[in-house]
Amino acid sequence: MADLLVVDAIEKTYGEGDTATRALKGVSFTVAEGEFASIVGQSGSGKSTLLNLIGLLDTPTSGQVLFGGKNTTTLGRKGRARVRNEGLGFVFQFHYLLPEFSVWENLTMPAQIAGRTVTGEERDRALQTLTLLGLEGLEHKNANQLSGGQKQRVAIGRALMNRPRLILADEPTGNLDTANTAVVYELFRTINAEIGTTFLIVTHDRAVAQQTDRILEVRDGELVQDVRNDYVAADT
Amino acid sequence: MLSLRIAARFLRSSPGQSALIISGIAVGIATQIFVGSLITSLQADLLDAAVGSSPHITLRASDGATISTYFAEDAEAMEPRISTAIAVRTFSAIYASGGESVPLAVTGADAADLDSIYGLSERITTGSYRLGADEALVGARFSETYDIEAGDALEVLLPDGQRADYEIAGVFDLGQGTANERFAFVGATTAAGALGMNDDECSAIQVQLTDPFDSAEVAPVLGEAFGVESLDWQAENEELLSGLAAQSGSSIMIQIFVLVAVALGIASTLAISAVQKTRQIGILKAIGMGDSAAGRIFLWQAALLGAGGTLGGIGLGYGLIWGFSLAPVPFSIRPEPTFIAISAAIGVSVALASSVIPARSTSRLDPIEVIQSG
Ligand SMILES: Nc1ncnc2c1ncn2[C@@H]1O[C@H](COP(=O)(O)OP(=O)(O)OP(=O)(O)O)[C@@H](O)[C@H]1O
Ligand SMILES: [Mg+2]
Repeated sequence: MADLLVVDAIEKTYGEGDTATRALKGVSFTVAEGEFASIVGQSGSGKSTLLNLIGLLDTPTSGQVLFGGKNTTTLGRKGRARVRNEGLGFVFQFHYLLPEFSVWENLTMPAQIAGRTVTGEERDRALQTLTLLGLEGLEHKNANQLSGGQKQRVAIGRALMNRPRLILADEPTGNLDTANTAVVYELFRTINAEIGTTFLIVTHDRAVAQQTDRILEVRDGELVQDVRNDYVAADT
Repeated sequence: MLSLRIAARFLRSSPGQSALIISGIAVGIATQIFVGSLITSLQADLLDAAVGSSPHITLRASDGATISTYFAEDAEAMEPRISTAIAVRTFSAIYASGGESVPLAVTGADAADLDSIYGLSERITTGSYRLGADEALVGARFSETYDIEAGDALEVLLPDGQRADYEIAGVFDLGQGTANERFAFVGATTAAGALGMNDDECSAIQVQLTDPFDSAEVAPVLGEAFGVESLDWQAENEELLSGLAAQSGSSIMIQIFVLVAVALGIASTLAISAVQKTRQIGILKAIGMGDSAAGRIFLWQAALLGAGGTLGGIGLGYGLIWGFSLAPVPFSIRPEPTFIAISAAIGVSVALASSVIPARSTSRLDPIEVIQSG
């Protein structure tokens, strides 16, 4: 299968001169369509930096990111915003819902940003997503009135709304209890299996990583390990 | 349109803040409308008293010779800013009462022509507006002082020393002391007889303009075209004009200060709102909203605040003007629709202008700044 994502020798240096931090020191790897992978590493190792670069939220100091065969590094702000809207879905540790809007409005915001009216097929998909996430009946509630787990599920729904090819999740269950954590990963798995969405999940939790098919380990800004999960399982 | 919907939602999410700033704009616009209409009405009244019923430009031969009556039609034909131009025959007559000699400034012309400049038909207090042969109209003050009324005979001494007997057809009130005491009007033929002029001769052409302030421009043009002297009312009313100009100046000052206050109010509210909503903007951008769409959210907020405040301000302004009409003063303020339209346009533009800075900082915001700070 063709590579969905090619990360090619990316470096990221924050700041300049004496205070410069080399957060990434040349990281390369590829991800195929439909993979379910995790990125692990210690705090400060550069996981979020890597994910933000792949997610086009930030630009690398050098190197390039190819998404769907296209070089994204040369895109302008507008082009990157479009790829974020249409090709990518984000789930962060914090839900980042819009508190002024209802669950339904938050869920459909990516479609509205893309300029689509939420009717017909779009509406059906949103309803399906609500069902998939176990959020039926909550669509008219304000985003503020939900529990932490519910908010995170709405955020996942929002990430799915434009049917992106790649979902980037940065510590998606960092704020959730064990039960909710299990629900979220189960959801990810279901989505991966049913829709074929590719997942790249950052976690510092080895136990979580074990449940993914592939583990990339970052240490001090470098990719030090890239293994298939069966191998990891056998190794430990 | 998503930007507009988000803007409306942001405003609704902090109703107190939105209501405050809308009230602030409304008070500003209302003040502007009230002060502006007050000054405009005052000036219109003053101006009307000064030049509403008198010629704006007078054309006459510099040597006192007669000029052609056709100049009136010619002037109207050549200059569209002229509302009316009439041929008049003017002379001074002496009215003798007891031992006293009273000079009268007599203007003679067709009744309809005179009416078009002096509005005499509506200003007759006793008698009627008629200018038949040897009939005359005199002012109210004159009539009172010398105790002569409509129907009485008026015996005067003409410039050539002849005597003339006129009959007073009516008494007018031009609302001005001098005019009511010293002015008299006669018909065109009566005046021609008194001056020994032919049908096509007159002493002057009197001109009224649609906008009296065009006189400075129109007067020299007419003077040159007909080779005559042209007198401009503005040149003879400099004091009144400088008074009006000072008044307009202070009115504009007040309005500018009000606008500046409104602009600062909107700008600070939007700046606060932009800071409050930084996180939301960052999220919207992270999920793909473009820079310009994000910036438009604040333009829309400003437009909504500006429109709401302006509408409220117009209502409040009309309310104030209505309230003023109940006050026991001999003066009424007319709301000026064009002025109000201009205020409204200024209100909304000021709101939009004050949103430029928050809109720009919003469009420049990088989503990573929000995502990283957690
Ligand atoms: N905006 C920034 N400016 C300067 N340095 C930064 C910035 N963001 C990250 N860094 C630095 O880059 C390095 C990598 O940070 P990053 O956030 O990618 O780590 P992480 O692996 O996600 O850690 P954690 O598990 O704690 O989230 C760290 O040393 C961090 O201090
Ligand atoms: Mg991190």
